[in-house]
Formats: sequence, C-alpha cells, structure tokens
Amino acid sequence: MADLFVLALAIALPFLAAVFAPLLYRLLGETVGYVGAVVAAVCFALLLTQVGAEGTVSTPWIPSMDVAFRFTVDAFGLLFALLASGIGILIFAYAREYMHGKPDLGRFYMALLAFMGSILGVALAADLVALFLFWELTSVCSFVLIGYYTDDAESRYSARMAMVITVGGGLCLLVGILLIAVGAESVGLAPFDLAAILANRGAVADAMRAQGVFLPALALVAVAAAAKSAQVPLYVWLPGAMVAPTPVSAFLHSATMVKVGVYALGRLRPLFHGPEWMALVATLGMVTMTVGALLAVLATDIKELLAYSTASHLGLMVAAFGFESHYGAEAGAFHLFNHALFKATLFLVAGIVAHEAGTRAIDDLGGLREDLPITAGITVLAALSMAGIPPFNGFYSKEILFEAAWEAAVHGGGLLWLYPATAVFASVFTVLYSLRFLWLFFGPRPDGLGPVHRAPLGLLAPPAVLAVAVAAVSVVPGVAIDLLVDDAASATAVSHVEIHAGIPTSLSGPVVMSAITIAVGVAAFPFYDRIRASLERVRAATTLVHPTVGYDALLSATDRASGLVGRSVHNGLIRTYVWWVLLSACVLTVAGYATATTGLPTPAVAETPVALVLVLAVAVVAAVAVTTADSHVTGVLTLGILGFMVAIFYILASGADLALTQLVVETLLLLIFLLVLEELPAYYGEIDLLRAARDGALSVAVGATAFVSVLYAAPDGAGAPTPTASFFTNNAIPEGGGANIVNVILTDFRAFDTLGESIVIVLAALSVLVLLTMRDRGETQ
Amino acid sequence: MSLALAATVGVLFAFGTFLLLRDDLVKVVWGLAILSQAANVYLISMGGITEPTGDTVPVLAEYYAPFPETADPVVQALVLTAIVISFGMTAFALALSYRAYQENETIDVTEWPQ
Repeated sequence: MADLFVLALAIALPFLAAVFAPLLYRLLGETVGYVGAVVAAVCFALLLTQVGAEGTVSTPWIPSMDVAFRFTVDAFGLLFALLASGIGILIFAYAREYMHGKPDLGRFYMALLAFMGSILGVALAADLVALFLFWELTSVCSFVLIGYYTDDAESRYSARMAMVITVGGGLCLLVGILLIAVGAESVGLAPFDLAAILANRGAVADAMRAQGVFLPALALVAVAAAAKSAQVPLYVWLPGAMVAPTPVSAFLHSATMVKVGVYALGRLRPLFHGPEWMALVATLGMVTMTVGALLAVLATDIKELLAYSTASHLGLMVAAFGFESHYGAEAGAFHLFNHALFKATLFLVAGIVAHEAGTRAIDDLGGLREDLPITAGITVLAALSMAGIPPFNGFYSKEILFEAAWEAAVHGGGLLWLYPATAVFASVFTVLYSLRFLWLFFGPRPDGLGPVHRAPLGLLAPPAVLAVAVAAVSVVPGVAIDLLVDDAASATAVSHVEIHAGIPTSLSGPVVMSAITIAVGVAAFPFYDRIRASLERVRAATTLVHPTVGYDALLSATDRASGLVGRSVHNGLIRTYVWWVLLSACVLTVAGYATATTGLPTPAVAETPVALVLVLAVAVVAAVAVTTADSHVTGVLTLGILGFMVAIFYILASGADLALTQLVVETLLLLIFLLVLEELPAYYGEIDLLRAARDGALSVAVGATAFVSVLYAAPDGAGAPTPTASFFTNNAIPEGGGANIVNVILTDFRAFDTLGESIVIVLAALSVLVLLTMRDRGETQ
Repeated sequence: MSLALAATVGVLFAFGTFLLLRDDLVKVVWGLAILSQAANVYLISMGGITEPTGDTVPVLAEYYAPFPETADPVVQALVLTAIVISFGMTAFALALSYRAYQENETIDVTEWPQ
C-alpha cells in the first residue's frame, strides 16, 4: 500500500532544499552540488521503498471543489520518478564539477532542485489540478534554467520561447482537464480524481462522448503534450534550450522534463484509447520522429544534434503510445526508460567534449578517442543504443515500436502502411546521426583541434554510471523489465502486456524492418556529407514553413498589438483608465446576468408609495441640475438638495439613524465645499462634443447596468428577513444589551469594523491636515 | 416599488459617471459624491423597502421576544458606515483638489504636467 508520508516527503524534500539552496551556497560554496546529489539520493531511496506498492493516498486541498493532493503509486509513475531522481543524483554530482567557477550557483541549484520536486510531483500526482500545477512548475523551472546566462540575448530569447510554447501548451492541458472533469462529474466521480477516472475510464469516456467533449479534450491533451515534448511543429524551443548549461540539457531537456508530455499521453492513453487517438497521436509522433532525425543529421553543433535527436526519440515514444495495440504501450514505456539512460549519457559526454576540447562544432571535432579513451568507451555504448543496433537496449524498444507499427498496418491496411515505412525511413537517419556522433571519437582528427585534456573524475563518473546501466539493461533486459517496466507498460495499456526483449531468432516483418534500417544506415554513412548537403538544400528551400518564422511573426504581431492597445487604453490619463475599467465592469456584469438568468424581472409598479416617488424624483432632478450647473456654487447647492433628498429617502425606508447621520454629513459637506470653493478659481470646462458623447455613452451603459442590477437583486417590497438580519434582531437585546439594532451591530457585533472605519476617518483627517498645513515643510523644495 | 428605485439608482450612477470624467476637478469630486449616494440607495434597496410604520424601524420597543419584523438592520449598518466613509473620502478629495490647485495653479486636469 502506498504511504502518503513517504510520497509527500519525496516530493517536498527537493522543494525544501530549493528554498535553502542560496543560503547553503553561501555557507558551503560549490559543494552545494553534492547536497543536491544527497537530496536526490534520499528521494530515490524513499521511492525505492514504494516499488511493488499500489494505491492512491490523498490529503484535502480545496475540499469544496473536490481538489486534493492525491498521489498514486503505480509502476509507470514510479518508473518516471525513479528515473528523475536517479539521474538527478548523477546530474548534481556532475554539475558540481561542470559548473565550477560559474556565477549565481545559488539560483542555479535552487531551480534545479525545485525542478526535481516538480517532476516527482508530476510523476506521482493522481489529481488533475495537482498534475497541472506541477506540470507548469516544471516549465517555470525550465525557463529559469534556460535563461541561466541572463546577460546573453540568445539565452533570454530561448528562455522566453520555451516559456511561451510550454506554458501555452499547459493552458491547453488546463482546458483539457476541465473537459475531462466535466465527463467525470457526470458519472458521479470526484471531477479531478485521476485515479478514479482511469479506474472508470469506459464510463467517463462514454460520458465525454455523449457531451461532445471527447475529441476536443483529446486534441487539447495532444497539443499540450506536443508543446512539452517538442513535437512538430512546436519542437523549436528544444534546440534553443541548448543554451542552458549542459547538466540542465541532460536533465531537463533530454531525460525528464521533455518526457512529461509523453508521460501524460501514457497516463491518459487508456482513457482516450481508440481509432481517433491513433490517427492523431501516432501520426504526430511519426512525423516528429522523421523531422527530428532529418534535422539532427543537419546539425552543426553536438548539442544541437542531440537536441533534434531527442525530439525524434520523443516522437518515437509519442507514436508508440499512439498505437492501439499492446505493443504500443510496451514500446512507449520501455523506450522512455532506455532513452533516459542513453541520452543523458550522451549529453554528459557532449559536456565533457565541450569542456575539454573547447568547441561544440561537429566539423571541428574528431579523433577524440586518443585524448578521451574512457569517454569514447562510454559513447560507444550509448550511441549504439541510440542508433538501435542489437544487442543494445535502444534496439529492444525500437524493435517493439516496429512491431506496433507493423501490427497497425497489418490490421488496418491501406494508408496505414505508411507507419512502418516512415518508422524505417526515420530510423535510417537515426543510425546516420548516431554514427556521426560516434565519429567524433573515431574519425580523423581535424588539424585545427587544439590540445584536449583528460576529463576529471567528477565529470567522468556520472556518464560512466549511466553507461554501465545501459550495458546492464542491454545484457540482462529481463531484470529491469520484471522490476518495473512491464508493470509500467501495463498501466498505460488496456490489454495484457508482456515485454519481450532480446535478439530476434525468427524472421518477421519487424525484424526485416530493423535489418533494412541498420543495413541502409551503415551503408549510407560514408556519404554522410553529401546527404547533409542535399538535406541542407531542402531546408534552404523551405525556410518559410520553418516554425521559428511563425513564432517570430506571432511574437512581433502580439508585440505590435499590445503596443497599440497600450497607447489607447494606458495613455497616462486616469480618466482613460476609469473609462475602460467601468466599461469592462459593465460588460462583465451584463454578461454574467445574460448567462445566469432568463429575462428581466417584472416589478409591481402600482404598490410604490407616492411620497417615495416624489422624493426620488427630486433627487434625480437635483442630479441633473448638478451636472448642468453653470457655476460651482450652484452645483454645490444642488448637490446638497440631492443629499437631503436621500436623507428623506432613508426616513421612508425606516432608517432613522441613517437619516440623522446623512443630515449631519450633508450639512458638514456643504460647509466644507463652500469654504474650499472660495479658494478655487471659477473654472468651468468647455464641453468637447465628441468627448461628451463618448462619456455620455459610457454613463448610459453604467446607469443601465446599475438599473438592471437593482432589478435583479432588490426584492420587491419586504421579503422574508435574511438569516443574518433575524440573528441580529433576535440577539440585539440578549447579547448586545441595546434596543437599537443598527447601533448594536456597529458598536458590539461588528465593533472591529467600526474601529477600522474610525481609523479611516482619522487617516482622512490627518491627510487633510498634512495636505493643507504642511505644504511648505520640505516637499516643495 | 423596485422599478422606481432601480430607475433612480441608474440615473444617479449615470450622472455620477459623467461628472467623474470631466476636466474640472470640482466636478470630479461631485461625481464621486453622487456615486456614493447612488451606492447607498442601492444597498438600502437590497434590504427591501416597505411602508414605514412604528414597527419597521429597527429600534426595538418591546424588550422580549417575539421581536417584530423590522427593516433589514444589516444593510442599514452597512450604509451607516458607508455614509461616514464617503464623507471622509469627499472631504479628503476636496483637500486634495485644493492642494493640486496650489501646486498647478489650475483645476483643469488636462493642463497639468503629465
């Protein structure tokens, strides 16, 4: 059974450490990297205790809306959480060495730790609102980390692009979540309880279909996942994110954060399972897999190559989760695991290369095996795994994807044969760029390459550990599969799952696909430069459809639009602000009435007492007179008439105290007005007709809104007294000891409010004093 | 009954808004004052208004239950507070206008330095 305390601790610990990271950095200096590693190790150990456990635990958060911090333990979530914390240990240890001498490390480790907490939250959350919250937190941390070099314009541009795309995707997820909640609520479940929704997925899916929100929800979730997991055409932020320090790239932008989208697809796969799901998600993944692989071949920088390769492999996972058969679930979950291992390794290797050779340009690097022999060995394991060469672990999961694509084509026929064809096509390029990466170590050494130092142990150990893990999974895949991966795949599947990993022994469609992939890839590698040149020509011919162009156009259009809106709404005149604020308030109020009610109420006109009508009519006439008064004195006197009429209205409304207070206040105000007016000039603004018409229109709108509001809200005649009113009436004498209920409320029941009111009056008096008598005490100098 | 109230509140709000948007600072203060009056009338109308009698005033003549049904004392307490606060606000706004006139030598807000 899942243990709430352990789970909450594992998620909270990184956040706590994040809060103290800047302080620890001051105390310990760069050693704080090891503190991060210890935190990650503790989380890892805590999560390990939950392996084999199942179940959901929760603690209320917003009970009135059925939102709770629900955490669920199942193999899929645990697999993801263990990957994040396990790789986190190595990343923190690596960062200690790699970030040596860099500025702002307190902020760096704070963001990195907070990110780890968020990712654990995403992995374990069983509440849709909590999931969304953690999801967005990972985007925010990613933004901070990509923008680590705050003085660098490219860094800021990339950080903003990542923020706009991933958070925009997050908003799609929010709407998708609300649509799912609609479906869940209509079958009587707590609306945001993901575990319950998945347990009753058939009923929820049917309810969503019946209400017409199934497809919109599916599409929104797919867009959100595409934004987060760098799918076409939203992948553009991922290569840009490579400006972040290499530990960040290895952790966030290959192993964990970018997998959040894939993870969400895997989670919701059972709910949305069906032909529409496959048509959208599998196609999306296949296109990304191909585009990413082609762009990786075009890359000129090793981190750029790895970034596009990451997009391509994310496409592979998305496509896998898109396929309907159980092979899809197996390939998705297994490749999620394998890719995290080999790609984090390769990023750390890229960091070593950049650190020791001083360049990341692919064409300037080569023959590094003599300078970096151990790194070369690590790279062989990871790169061959990435290429999908047997007997490495990347081959096993890719082989299952081929099976899924083959299965879909055999079942559906026709156009669906494009799936296996595309998979092979993309994988050929995967082999190509993987070999190119390997060629950094085994190809000829360019003349321009300066001396390359051996990598220090602190940089070498983390990728070595990961490479050992790659080797272990390659040799005995059964261990990892039995421990977690098989069960993880089951959590994303609707049918029975049993992963087979190994060297194929008999000839079948998928085996032929693998054979073609590897044979063509290896055979084409000698012509790598020519392939790259022709791809470059294709890219140059299609710059117009490149997503960055669209992004930049969108951003500059938004910029221009907000400039225009700013100049007209926010022009420095308070009058203009008031105008727009009042208009918005009216529109929102009326829209609220329009959606919540049906038609206007019809009040009984006949019952209105004549005295009341007369008094109100005089008040209205006074208001007209104030507005049209031709001198300040006339205006103030007519304003007084309005005030006294309101006082009489209070008498007619049984408010004796109100009338008394109003009379006193009006008299005082009249005096103050007359005193001040004596000092003021007799300015009388000329009326600009256009402005008067515009302000008049707004005034009519405000008046109409107030009119409608009173009609809706005021009871016609005395209704039954509200419970609050009855309470005060019945308790004024027993509890407050006074017969005047209004006075008892003010001085007894709500005495603190009255105290606050008195303070306001005192403050107003003090301010008046300061404004009028202290003018020459310093401020004007 | 509520139709008359609604019409009054609407008209008062309209004129108050119009005055609030004028260039003459004194008129802006008037606008504030009218808006407060309108809001108070609005609040009172929320409690529901009946023909006044000795019993409807929320001052209890009988000291023992059952107490008579009075006009809503809650809205009256709210409005009483609001009257006093708006008095403070109007007085402060006037003082501020006077000070602004001293500094800028005009009460036309469009002629102030931006």
